[in-house]
Amino acid sequence: MSQSEMSRAKRHLETTRKMKEMLPRFFMRQMERRFSGTEPLAWCMVGVPPELLKAFDLLFEWPENFGTMCASRLVAPHFIEVAEGDGYSQELCSYVTNTMGYCKLTKDSGEPPQESPLPGGMGTPSMLLGSGFICEPRWKWFQSIATRFFDVPVYSSDPLAPPWDIDPHDPRIENHYLTLLREDLAGQIEFLEKHTGKKLDTDLLRETLALSHEALGYWRDTLALRKAVPCPMGSTDYFHSIIPQMYLVGDREAVDFYKEMYDEVKDRVDRGIGIAEEEKYRLIWFGLPPWFNMGIFNYLESLGAVVAYESTYNVGDYFEVDLSDPLEALVRRTWQRAVKMHDYGAETMPELCNPAVFGGFSGSSVLEELVEDYSLSGALMHLTRSCRAVSFGEVHTKNRLAGLGVPSLIFESDMADPRLWSDAQIKTRLHAFLETMDKAAKGGNNND
Amino acid sequence: MTDRLNAANRSTKQAEESENRIRRIKAESGKPVIGYLCCFAPPEIISASGALPFRITGRPGEDNSAADAYVEPYGCTYVRNILARAVKGELDFLDGLVISHSCDMVQRLYGIWTYYHPLPYSYMFNVPHQVSPWGQDFFKRELAFFWESLEKFTGGKITAESLKETTAVFNRNRSLVRELYDIRKEAIPPVEGSEILDLLIEGGSLPPEYFTTLLEEKLAVIKKRPRGTVRAPRLMVWGSIMDDPSLLRMIEEAGGRVVADDTCIGFRVWEKDVPVTEDPLDGFTEHYFVNFQCPRTDRGPGTGRFDYLLQRAREYNADGIIGYCISFCDPHKFDYPDLRDYLKAAGLPMLLIDDNYSFEPAGSIKTRLQAFIEMIGAG
Repeated sequence: MSQSEMSRAKRHLETTRKMKEMLPRFFMRQMERRFSGTEPLAWCMVGVPPELLKAFDLLFEWPENFGTMCASRLVAPHFIEVAEGDGYSQELCSYVTNTMGYCKLTKDSGEPPQESPLPGGMGTPSMLLGSGFICEPRWKWFQSIATRFFDVPVYSSDPLAPPWDIDPHDPRIENHYLTLLREDLAGQIEFLEKHTGKKLDTDLLRETLALSHEALGYWRDTLALRKAVPCPMGSTDYFHSIIPQMYLVGDREAVDFYKEMYDEVKDRVDRGIGIAEEEKYRLIWFGLPPWFNMGIFNYLESLGAVVAYESTYNVGDYFEVDLSDPLEALVRRTWQRAVKMHDYGAETMPELCNPAVFGGFSGSSVLEELVEDYSLSGALMHLTRSCRAVSFGEVHTKNRLAGLGVPSLIFESDMADPRLWSDAQIKTRLHAFLETMDKAAKGGNNND
Repeated sequence: MTDRLNAANRSTKQAEESENRIRRIKAESGKPVIGYLCCFAPPEIISASGALPFRITGRPGEDNSAADAYVEPYGCTYVRNILARAVKGELDFLDGLVISHSCDMVQRLYGIWTYYHPLPYSYMFNVPHQVSPWGQDFFKRELAFFWESLEKFTGGKITAESLKETTAVFNRNRSLVRELYDIRKEAIPPVEGSEILDLLIEGGSLPPEYFTTLLEEKLAVIKKRPRGTVRAPRLMVWGSIMDDPSLLRMIEEAGGRVVADDTCIGFRVWEKDVPVTEDPLDGFTEHYFVNFQCPRTDRGPGTGRFDYLLQRAREYNADGIIGYCISFCDPHKFDYPDLRDYLKAAGLPMLLIDDNYSFEPAGSIKTRLQAFIEMIGAG
């Protein structure tokens, strides 16, 4: 890998370009509060409901998102190497090792490292809110941070979901899992009340959930617009526009953002504006993106290959949730997602409540639906060496897609560690794959 | 391809004998064999259902390419090996499969295995990650569902009484294994660690009543052995699943003596009895969830989670620790830096061996072991 091989993404939408002004405003507001030094700061994992954090008016930061920022600024290798020097294996999640390096440098020097993408970095946490929502490293990540670097309280939630061959519609099974989800949420709230010194404001939570629901409704509708040919929105806009879901969901600003995005994409559909000059290939993307080289999507677009759907960070279908009891609404939201994915047949990642992760699509009818609805002609699967949670099962999905006549390319790299990126090799493989798709379209062999 | 230096260390014979034996037992008894991985779903319940529990083991270093059509190369090599064995038909004596959600990789093995090669019976035993009160309640309810599913499959009735009986047989074995381990506390134990692991691989996989005899025979032999006079550096092995004694043999060849361990197949499985409780599910919850020391379970921050290890190292008078991590074994790899520092603070040196479930290249591993053992010996 050389830095010259990495290219920043070109965004196609005005709305996502505007994020460059919107997000700094948000971060400034957060930083003013953080630098006041009187408020607790929680480091959180994806899976912790941001609505809950808003209801506690709690300052928060997302180390996973920090990992993506470090990756895109190419400072992640520095932090990761520090962690490796401390004994963390290169095989471990690079979001985690990025954080571990950051924490070590912070602890050793008494202040956040200057290379941090944000002024003041992620700050110093006063509590850690984890979630076993997606993968196993999450259980060890915050445990180790609190053991080695910051002696702060940790709460990790444990939202289990039924395996693929267990019927979630059986009332006894439903009760088995809902009981766990309710008690786990109660534990999380008890922890937050203790460490923030505040009681949960359920009215504020209800209000926040309503706004969050509204924003995500626009987001889902926007994604559905990508069924149009030519595709009006690509992956560079997609992956960047997940950030407001982490920081701003529950704010009116997020509703406005996603509504504006919907209007813009709808307008492009109405006017037949695509993102590639000539749209030749419509692809689905599986796995995490290479955050250090998001320009790869623009490169594909230059070859006429457009990604119309991404499995990762996809918030999934819209659910009606009764907000009269906002805590039960949070539980039901988690459960409904799990059931939905179960009904699709999520046999490789049965514990996942999160439809964002591709494994939920494995062996399921959702693949057939996506291929048809989004007029997909091929699949790109990013095999991330340090994140098996998301990539383990890609071979299986490739097998399933082959059965549908859709060719796939699995290529290897990582989400945050650019040392694993081989530009020439990957581009050669992408080229060869597109040629394979041409042959498949002409009735040739469709397997890479 | 197996490294020539290492080939002699393998215990394929023991593992094969165990599988041949379960085939014979199955043929003679007419009972179904239910294979299991990891130690969260109690084999006592499988036994009580009238089926034969069998712990599935891998074949380190063997060709895993049969798994390539189903899973990625970036994944636990142990899991890939087990899947390759299933694909090749080497596990065709199984009538059922029980996999616990121990780690992510094992859990995903369940989905892929049962999708491509369905068995007459399969159950994924879901396990919370935290030993919170609600996590324990969930585990207990999960045990009840597991119980029901086995009754449905075998047609047999499992009762509290039958569970007490099977638990007593398993506990008898646990007590015998502890007796064996106690002998290793001696200044110059008359048994090597590899010999013990061979026994656990061969017998520990089998239904418990067949293991009891093996253990009793081995104990009688070992107790009678004359004691040696040369003290070797005493080591404890910690880490990923170890279903082959190659590493232990290498340690022994390098001049060390393995006196204790904290691995699966090893002492983790046998260290405590299942408590006999009025409701048998309470005893299983305590044993297989609350007390079972696999780092996949979150026991909160701080180094207190390693206290049991230090206590064991002292009990067995270990001079150092050898860590063993299989590629992509996240739970152990995450714990390594914390554990290394914790042990160092307690005055115990640690050497980590990273392996892709092949114990190769043996020459390089041996060189590192020799240097470490010499260092301990000199200290």
